[in-house]
Amino acid sequence: MMIVKDSFVRINKWALFSAIFLYLIGLFTPVKYLQPGLLFVFFAGFFNLLHKDYFAAKPKIGAHLWLLPILVTLLTSQSPLTMGEGSPLMFVLSFLTCLIPFLILISSISEEKPPRKPRLKAVSIRTVVQCSVFVIWASVTSYCFIKGTRPDMLFWAMFHVTTVALFPVFFGRVLCGWLCPNATLQDALYKNMTFKRPIENLPKAIDAQSSTACMNISGKADARAPLFPATLLLSWFPMFFAETVWDLTGVAWYPIAFMYGLFLLSLLFKWRKMCTHFCWLSSYRGINCHNSMWHIRYNRSKCKQCKVCQAEKACPFYIDIRNQDNEMPATCCLCFSCMEACPFEGVITYKRAPEEKARLKAESKGQPMAEHKPESACEPQAS
Amino acid sequence: MAEILEEKYITPLAKWARLLEIFIPGYMFGKAWGIANETTVDLYRAIFPPFLINMAEYMKHNLLVTDNAALQRLLATCSGALVGFAVIFALGVFMHLVLRDRKYIDSVRFTAITLIPLAVMNGTLSHLTNTILESLGGGETIEALTKSAVDGPSGQIKMFCIFYMLAIWFFGKRAGVLGRKRYYVLLVGIGFLAVYFACGLGITPIEAADVLPKMMAAHGKP
Repeated sequence: MMIVKDSFVRINKWALFSAIFLYLIGLFTPVKYLQPGLLFVFFAGFFNLLHKDYFAAKPKIGAHLWLLPILVTLLTSQSPLTMGEGSPLMFVLSFLTCLIPFLILISSISEEKPPRKPRLKAVSIRTVVQCSVFVIWASVTSYCFIKGTRPDMLFWAMFHVTTVALFPVFFGRVLCGWLCPNATLQDALYKNMTFKRPIENLPKAIDAQSSTACMNISGKADARAPLFPATLLLSWFPMFFAETVWDLTGVAWYPIAFMYGLFLLSLLFKWRKMCTHFCWLSSYRGINCHNSMWHIRYNRSKCKQCKVCQAEKACPFYIDIRNQDNEMPATCCLCFSCMEACPFEGVITYKRAPEEKARLKAESKGQPMAEHKPESACEPQAS
Repeated sequence: MAEILEEKYITPLAKWARLLEIFIPGYMFGKAWGIANETTVDLYRAIFPPFLINMAEYMKHNLLVTDNAALQRLLATCSGALVGFAVIFALGVFMHLVLRDRKYIDSVRFTAITLIPLAVMNGTLSHLTNTILESLGGGETIEALTKSAVDGPSGQIKMFCIFYMLAIWFFGKRAGVLGRKRYYVLLVGIGFLAVYFACGLGITPIEAADVLPKMMAAHGKP
């Protein structure tokens, strides 16, 4: 069977929809049954969708990834996560959910051409981390719901202590790019859903403030400028209100409900607009980004102004890296998508290029160097 | 390196953002002081500075009173939050002694944002009281309970104090607090922590030995 990128996406997408449906049925209905293989369906589906540009050209690699959930389903056929008796129907459905995409992809050939630039190593690691954290979150949550215990509290305690306090200092907003289950769902699945969003465009005042708050200005700070976008701060209110009025502190389903709330609300907006404008968890995680141990550097003197890296095309947080002038944008979630998207070598890097160091040094001495004129020819370097 | 710009940088919702930058951390910082009830108030007095709990309790019982239980819980956190705002505005005065290149209210905004780690700490400590309360119902000895009541908060406090100092240092860099000023701002933060500890942050073994038997007796345990 001949497949193109769209059909590759569709196969994985529908397998994921089926898995989500079975997962929710298993958790929230009296069935209380989950085949562990279903959790690895999430891994395989998300991983394939995150690599769609690469795997659509080589569908057999994607097919082999579906062997993982098939294997887990078969190995755990006698030990599913369940409250009472096993459910043969749920087992069969779970098994089919991973078998069907495998059979379709293994028998497919593609005429798609792989991207000219190979996958960046950092992005490869990120996708593995993203998918793994999602599987851990889904496992812990399902265990909590089916067994009626609260191991999820440990997950959330770890999640919050590390991401609230520790990570922002050392890794900036890496939570939003690497760890958040909602981010994984959005990057892998929602981005590939083409329906018209109920809130297609945000009001200008709201849309502008997210990308123009002080935390986004690189290198320079106006003492009067807001340090956070207002809507991010405002989105804390529902949480405070609910927690206080209904006394939800320590209630097991409360943090889980937040994540499900984020999943559902994210469907209202375009890709990642929920994260940039309304996520109550992300608001203050960018404050120390400037000092993150990991950096991305934009080397203006090497840029050909082809705009491939520009907002909406590559960056989940709609940052135009070209405006950042060599500094780390504070909202950056360190996904390195811009670095991967850039067709040229040495424009977006981990370390400052020597030419950039010279330019900044000259500028700091008050001797601005001649403005860089982008080369007219924007032919990317094949690598 | 960040530098302070002369021109104003105005965004459409800047006014609201500035207001919320004080309000949200202030509320987070203080709300834990107001949520104690008759059973837990002594434990809160042991863990947090007692005069802060007393101020919140006074407001809760005399100024912000209602018969509705849910609304009363909200007003209770608001009473703690009011004390939190007072602390932030007072600390802002000392920050402003260093940050004279900006308005007082901007110094307060800086103070409020950097206090977020301590706000999370306060919330975590109030959650720990719930854990201690749950332990009272179990079969643990008073020695074991005292040990967990002292060690649990102590570890959290140490961790979040480090995060607070890192937040001042790094966020200072982000917000244009440069050179020697950043050391002075850090000193103000350390001074605040010293005062917070001196006023009674954290539970000592003596306090735990005093409070826990009373709470056990209230729970019908010998």
